Amino acid sequence: MAPPFHHEDIFQLVREPIDLRALIEHVRAPGDGAIVTFDGFVRNQSHNRATLYLDYEAYESMALVKMREIAAQLHEKYGIHRVAIVHRLGHLEIGETSVFIAVSAPHRAAAFDACRFAIDTLKRTVPIWKKEYFEDGAVWADGELPPAPLATPRAKPAS
Amino acid sequence: MFRGALAGFLRSRYNLAVAPVSQTVRVKVLFFGRLKDVVGHSQESLNLADAVTIEQLFAVYAARTPELAQYRSSVVASRNQEFAAWDTVLYPGDEVAFLPPVSGG
Repeated sequence: MAPPFHHEDIFQLVREPIDLRALIEHVRAPGDGAIVTFDGFVRNQSHNRATLYLDYEAYESMALVKMREIAAQLHEKYGIHRVAIVHRLGHLEIGETSVFIAVSAPHRAAAFDACRFAIDTLKRTVPIWKKEYFEDGAVWADGELPPAPLATPRAKPAS
Repeated sequence: MFRGALAGFLRSRYNLAVAPVSQTVRVKVLFFGRLKDVVGHSQESLNLADAVTIEQLFAVYAARTPELAQYRSSVVASRNQEFAAWDTVLYPGDEVAFLPPVSGG
């Protein structure tokens, strides 16, 4: 049997400003007692260099698959009610939200733990890349190499 | 199977080379982040003469763009939107992506 509410979760990659309020309202329901959110936004410096702006790109089809997997883990591990995970792509100015996560649950502990797990896992496994623009050039941000299988005994054909 | 037998017959009887069509593998290959900058494009469709692994596919591109080889240890690969081992054999229609360290968030 499918766990309840999964179809109410939100996973999105957007190119416009993220409507934080709408996402919080979306995950909120009478059976909940807590919502924890994570608002990741563009910092004005990186390694002591003044940042002008950022540009994000994604392997969109795979990023959505990975975001959906994170949500499934949140339900399984923490028994949350709903989650919304939205990442913005393209050009972002200092102070603009690049990623927003809202998690609702009956009690605060599950919501806190799940939200922390969601952003940590997103940063490690979702194929999104950030290019940082400075006065004197641009660099792809250092990132994390996602864990991948080391060897396959037998590969399966595409379905 | 039948085509293979036919090709063998034509080759032995008439000295005709028939390309074994069943072994032609067309895959879509994607590059992201700094890898896209290195190879100069983000995606292409590629016809492979035979079934190859993801490792061998990467080597095809490294032969074209030698600079790419230095990134091998800091790349993960995916096949059809799932992280995949380098020894994964590719099938027709597969979508392969080479992904540098991710930096979302």
